[in-house]
Amino acid sequence: MLIQPDETILVTGATGFIGLSVVRTLLKRGFRNLRLLVRSYRRPAALEEIVSRHRGARIEVFHGDLLSPEDCLGAAKDASVVYHLAVEKGEKSFAYLFMNSVLTTRNLLEACVAQRRLRRFVNVSSFAVYTNCEKPLGKVLDELCPVEQDPMRRGDPYCFAKLKQDEIVMEYGRKHAIPYVIIRPGVVYGPGSNGITGRVGIGTFGVFLHLGGPNQVPLTYVDNCADAIVLAGLSEGADGEAFNVVDDDLPSSRKLLQLYKKNVKHFRSVYIPRAVSYLLTCIWEDYSHWSRGQLPPLFNRKIWHAYWKGSRYSNAKMKNLGWTPQISTADGLIRYFESCREQV
Amino acid sequence: MLRVGIIGCGKVADVHISQIRRIGGCKIVGVCDREELMAQQLSERFGVPRYFSEVGEFLSFSRPDVVHITTPPQSHFEIAKLCLESGCHVYVEKPFTLYAWEAKELVERANASSVKLTAGHNAQFSHAARRMRRLVQEGYLGGPPVHLESLWCYELEDNVFAKAFLGAKRHWVRELPGGLLHNIISHGIAKLAAFFTMESPIVSAHGFISPLLRGLGENQIIDELRVMICDAERTTAYFTFSSGMRPSVRQFRIWGAKNGLLVDDDQQTVIKLRGSRYKSYLEMFVPPLNLAGQYVGNVWSNARLFLARDFHMDSGMKCLIEAFYRSIAGKQSVPIPYREILLTARIMDDIFQQVSSQSVPQVPLRPVVPRIAC
Repeated sequence: MLIQPDETILVTGATGFIGLSVVRTLLKRGFRNLRLLVRSYRRPAALEEIVSRHRGARIEVFHGDLLSPEDCLGAAKDASVVYHLAVEKGEKSFAYLFMNSVLTTRNLLEACVAQRRLRRFVNVSSFAVYTNCEKPLGKVLDELCPVEQDPMRRGDPYCFAKLKQDEIVMEYGRKHAIPYVIIRPGVVYGPGSNGITGRVGIGTFGVFLHLGGPNQVPLTYVDNCADAIVLAGLSEGADGEAFNVVDDDLPSSRKLLQLYKKNVKHFRSVYIPRAVSYLLTCIWEDYSHWSRGQLPPLFNRKIWHAYWKGSRYSNAKMKNLGWTPQISTADGLIRYFESCREQV
Repeated sequence: MLRVGIIGCGKVADVHISQIRRIGGCKIVGVCDREELMAQQLSERFGVPRYFSEVGEFLSFSRPDVVHITTPPQSHFEIAKLCLESGCHVYVEKPFTLYAWEAKELVERANASSVKLTAGHNAQFSHAARRMRRLVQEGYLGGPPVHLESLWCYELEDNVFAKAFLGAKRHWVRELPGGLLHNIISHGIAKLAAFFTMESPIVSAHGFISPLLRGLGENQIIDELRVMICDAERTTAYFTFSSGMRPSVRQFRIWGAKNGLLVDDDQQTVIKLRGSRYKSYLEMFVPPLNLAGQYVGNVWSNARLFLARDFHMDSGMKCLIEAFYRSIAGKQSVPIPYREILLTARIMDDIFQQVSSQSVPQVPLRPVVPRIAC
């Protein structure tokens, strides 16, 4: 282990879907000195519950904004490990996501450079950064796969922001010897998340268009993902590495949709075969270009390759670090569907 | 070739660049943001040749003819002054300035330097707004307007921007003199200002925090506003800003001595409201048929614009920018008369002064719905 149980650990995005699970995992592993950076001044009930359950641990809820360098300095003070999970996913503009991914990460890294005690900076990235364009259909997507080189053409602000975030982390690793690890989870699911991932299909046009078909869906249950993130922050010899996080026994898109309909709610869906979805995507992209953006380029060839072309996924590198998914996909889906039913 | 620069590289700058690129006869020569990474990302994404983090350096190196200011409103005044001093024409995003005196000073400086200014009141230049103005100019109202009504609703629940400032105590929106209202209402107020002839109409405003926000523990952000404006000449107006009203509409209605008009910003429809009435039962059948026909006509005209690739979400901004650039070239006057910009700022000043002086009224969390006996 890189650090002792009493050393300070900073978790950003601690009230988020994965963040809460990371906090629980750290406490379960016996770490007793956590600082949780929270932007909103409203503390969710789940965080209150964690704090009240672990009276023996020192859990400091640090209210601050990663866009403020002063707040970052305060949050990173004496931290030995930083788990950087804070993310903005709702807003769909390039600039906003860039600001809330890259500037925030830069500020946090600067604070880490200034305080000089950091042992590990865990940057939580995403599968969204990978491109599938050159990879043959159905081949394994692993950490060696190239990342997207032209995110503007992909028209995906989240992909752009995460790419730039990874780049700035690597830059600080090179220039300031920040010991970092990049974690790239697939589709994180579990109680608290809802809806069905866009890798299965989209409901934008009134009827659910099932685009995934036989493709594997790169699911990772939230607690499994949190285990992987925590482990990446504590393991020796992981500096400068990137790790993909997906569970074992991944279902196909068709199977996942079928189970969702059976266990959560039934709705009408239309399967669009791969060749047809590719053709429609090309038409959309070309029209968007021809009309100079009258329709935004939401559907384009690069998006199709990344989400609907079809890949298989590997978690071998993460397993080499000593990680195994504790919750099986079958059990994870049962818990997820139960939570979805409650929300429905 | 008009040399264009952008100061402020947030998400609104994306919209500006996208629209500028649809216009001929101009090129973007540089972008600037005090946060260099923001300037760099914008320049990389849109292939802008240079980026800067200092306004002075940007103005002297890039030498733009016209500058679009798309920073948060707190910096509009100072940046606009610098640009005007450098001899640039300036497009300032809404809200134009924080205070009316700042707006007045900018207009005076622009006049003194013989350069041009405009405000980002692009909702005035949407297809529907232009159709409405043409009808008014052709005399459809039958004289000057008698009464105006501007409704501008804003959904907080699903709005990502709203979530950002509601969750953050130090968000720049909270630091505006008029808070959330300041950032949003200028579109709706500018629509009214365009039809007032007096410099200082009487403004009576009432603002409060909605039950929704109070339920979330919010005690600063005023998200409900009702305003009455009276011109001593003859025109009156109501302005409504609401986060709670459903449907959430952005509409403008104008009534003259003969007829009226209804403009829907979201649906991009213009409906003629006939002043004359039909006899007896005919009034119950003919006008609804007429309205149905008008809505079908609006569908058709919107479809034609779409097929002609001229129905972009921000087409109002493109039209405003084009008109502003034409005025710079000396081909026409400024698209928004300075009188309108100043009146909008003055009305907003009045509203915020009145609203801030009111104590927050204690509206019950669950409003009582009166029972109506049938």
